[in-house]
Amino acid sequence: MNRTVLVVGVAITLALFAILFVGLGRDPAAIRSPLVGKPAPPFALKAVGTGQTIDLASLRGKPAIINFWATWCVPCYQEHPVLVENARMLPGVQFVGVVFNDTEDKINAFLRERGSSYPTLLDEQGKTAIAYGVGGVPETYFLNRDGVIVAKFAGPMSTEILQSNLAKAMQ
Amino acid sequence: MTAALGRFLILASVFVSAAGSIVAFAAGKKHSPEGLMFARRFAYAFAALMVVATGVMEYALLRHDFSVGYVAHVGSREVPTWVTIVSLWSSLEGSILFWGLVLGLYIAGATWLTRNQYVDYMPFAIGTWLACATFFSYLIAAPANPFLTVPAQPDGPGPNPLLQNHLLMIIHPPFLYLGYVGMTIPFGLACAALMRGRLGHAFLRPLRASLLLPWIFLTIAIMLGGWWAYEVLGWGGYWAWDPVENASLLPWLTATAALHSAIVMERRGVLKGWTVTLVQGSFLLTILGTFMTRSGVFNSVHSFTQSSIGPTILVFLTATLLFSVVLLALRINTLEAEGKLESPVSREGMFLVNNLLFVLLTFTVLIGTVFPLAVEAFKGRQMSVGRPYFDSMVVPVGTALLFLIGVGPALPWGRVTRKQAIRSLLMPLASGTVVALIGYIAGARNPWTILTLLFGGYAAWVTVVEMSRGGTRVLRRGRRRFGGYVVHAGAVIVLVSIAVSSTMRTSTEVRLTRGQAAKIGPYTVTFLAAEERTEPHRQSTVARFAVTSNGKPVTTLEPRMNFYPTMREPIGTPDVHSTITRDLYLSIMNIDPNSQTVSVMMLITPMVSWIWIAVFLMGVGGLIALIPARSVVILSEAKDLRMPSSLATGDPSLRSG
Amino acid sequence: MILLLLTVALNAPPQGTPLSGPALEQRTYEVASLLRCPVCQGMSVADSPSTVALDMKQQVRELLARGYTQEQILAYFEQSYGQFVLLKPRNRLIWILPILILVAGAIVVVTTAKKLSQPSTTDDRQPTTDAYISRVRELVDK
Repeated sequence: MNRTVLVVGVAITLALFAILFVGLGRDPAAIRSPLVGKPAPPFALKAVGTGQTIDLASLRGKPAIINFWATWCVPCYQEHPVLVENARMLPGVQFVGVVFNDTEDKINAFLRERGSSYPTLLDEQGKTAIAYGVGGVPETYFLNRDGVIVAKFAGPMSTEILQSNLAKAMQ
Repeated sequence: MTAALGRFLILASVFVSAAGSIVAFAAGKKHSPEGLMFARRFAYAFAALMVVATGVMEYALLRHDFSVGYVAHVGSREVPTWVTIVSLWSSLEGSILFWGLVLGLYIAGATWLTRNQYVDYMPFAIGTWLACATFFSYLIAAPANPFLTVPAQPDGPGPNPLLQNHLLMIIHPPFLYLGYVGMTIPFGLACAALMRGRLGHAFLRPLRASLLLPWIFLTIAIMLGGWWAYEVLGWGGYWAWDPVENASLLPWLTATAALHSAIVMERRGVLKGWTVTLVQGSFLLTILGTFMTRSGVFNSVHSFTQSSIGPTILVFLTATLLFSVVLLALRINTLEAEGKLESPVSREGMFLVNNLLFVLLTFTVLIGTVFPLAVEAFKGRQMSVGRPYFDSMVVPVGTALLFLIGVGPALPWGRVTRKQAIRSLLMPLASGTVVALIGYIAGARNPWTILTLLFGGYAAWVTVVEMSRGGTRVLRRGRRRFGGYVVHAGAVIVLVSIAVSSTMRTSTEVRLTRGQAAKIGPYTVTFLAAEERTEPHRQSTVARFAVTSNGKPVTTLEPRMNFYPTMREPIGTPDVHSTITRDLYLSIMNIDPNSQTVSVMMLITPMVSWIWIAVFLMGVGGLIALIPARSVVILSEAKDLRMPSSLATGDPSLRSG
Repeated sequence: MILLLLTVALNAPPQGTPLSGPALEQRTYEVASLLRCPVCQGMSVADSPSTVALDMKQQVRELLARGYTQEQILAYFEQSYGQFVLLKPRNRLIWILPILILVAGAIVVVTTAKKLSQPSTTDDRQPTTDAYISRVRELVDK
């Protein structure tokens, strides 16, 4: 019995098995945001339609939902009504949409067609999106009243998802 | 009906392979020739079942029988017939069935070719093969069953459109499977040697041949994958160290190492246990590779979504790993060294260094691929290991290997005196220096590239000298050696081309409006128009460019941006103009048909076509080496030797056994 | 205004020299090659045509033009995206492991080469110096 072979071989087998086994439980595309638990990055962007500048500081005091989207994003179409509806139902929560790499005309047309119940900001070169670590659209950040990001959700949301994440911001 | 027939055939193959495996191992243990005969019949039966099952699936696909699960998943009345035939391997369940088919054909072939020989080894080999076959049949029967019956539907979605738009995507999977699955055969032979407790000289022949054939396929398959990525993905490169790409490379590395250590084993009778370990490793890496591709655990362009097939493959991988380790531990010491090395500084010694480098590469690529997974599993942090890491690690080792391709064959076999060594090593230096100088004059400044050119020129000289030893006779006798050097020639060209094409490319990104032109290298590229085209499965915006050189028209290139309804981001398709010296590559970054502006990346990559051609040359070299020499009777190779009178003394060591 | 906020986010003034022209393009490509495109599967920001990647590349260009160093730029993106976005791993273990394997392997190779060059001690056949018999033994072996 060759001890070296046995020990080395079994060690490699167990290590590989352990790593791959744990790997089976997770989704490799789900990237966790390092900003969760940290203060949200500041921004100051112009709202489409009104032209007013809205900055992060103005959101303090109430829980906030910042939703990054774009008119060229197909899943955003599904999500939009959910956001509009929830924004109406929950006046105690600030809803803000941020659109990047898009034009005001397209955004205005989209909102005219599908409704809007909260400000939509234009992030022309995506700098705010990058500061927030946005990879794709739609991605949504949930802030508590002190401006700390408590949750991030990537992908189109349903009402359940929105409300369960919002619950964390309300605490 | 068809689905039920398919399920029956698969279930039958599970039982046939399991029973055959048991019969084979029993025959081996009892040294029973009848048992071996039965085992071989089981092997043929398994192969036949797989062939018929595949036939049934193709029939269902061609008849658009949407009551069969897999056909409902990938079939479509709208696609051309050849797409339908090829969709057998376009999606997970069908591809596992394809794996089973290839495995069946390999096992049948190997069983037939060894039908009258190696009777002490073959029961164990067939037993091992059929045990693997049992697992794959089980995979087809349970987690990845393509023959499930589903409610009938009028039409299907067709295979993934990304897989339909290029010829390379059609031939890459079959070559890959022929390479991957083929590693099962030498694995069985290696296990047989361990179980039997010896690895005789004559057994080397089937072991090497059964390793070389899949190696050839795998070499070509890896190249096809890189070429496809280059032509289709749009970033201008051909290798991104993606986990699935690495999965195809890992068994190739260990198989190449094994092919080399087998040469030392044949010449000197040493390194038996090590060669056997490498052969087992090559097979195990194919199982790891298929796990990496299909389990959904790794972040990759090729990933399938997670399904129950992942855990099943992991169980098989762990079981075969443990089996191989235990078998090795118990029996490796019985594979006696029957000879020795004359001196460490010799060609044999260089083979050892070769193996060291290949194994180092294997570990490095494996660690790089698996590390992020390990860190996330044990520390909860997400990290990436990308091209910068792999390139930093692999480039020096690759350069060292190129050095060996030159220095190794330059050294003589066996005992080498200092004077001999220096003389053999110094001569090719002239060639190396010339090539490096040419490169420098042509603009090469990267130190690794210049080193690669120096070693490459050196190795080219040595390889050509070795190839021309023996004149034209060499194609009739000495094919193995000659073929090996053809492979080396190809490898030298590949390594030099990779160095040149990665470090000497020119790239520029420009924004053009209609009618505007930009210059890159010798070419003038004029943007003609942006057009929108609608196809059944996608919407594309095409940018048309006219390419001229010195005023003379060269070609029109049409890179595209494709919008698929199911994808979040558009996917670009580049267009390439390839010549023997360089490629002109255009890829769209941004396109607006309304304003007729396009933001395009233009690349000139020198020598990239040489990579595809040279890898093909490596495959040809392998084929030359594979053609068997005539030796029906064992001692026919000795017919040149004259028999001395000492043989009449009845030397007992001449008893066969 | 946005530039001011960026400086605040970067927590430091630029520590390198501002770049421009072809040198800027070259460095943009190099730094962008070290950043992972967050949406694509494993592609670098330099190679990816996706929207976010293009934005990130532009940001890299601007930061380089203002004189920020590679380290500062990478740290900035790491803040927002996590270590995931760095294609060159920071972890020291992964860089050391291959070197350890090389050293261990080299030791094994040297010891094996030496061991295999010693005359063999166990050989149950009668040793022979006759070249013919050695050759026949080799051939007869099964």
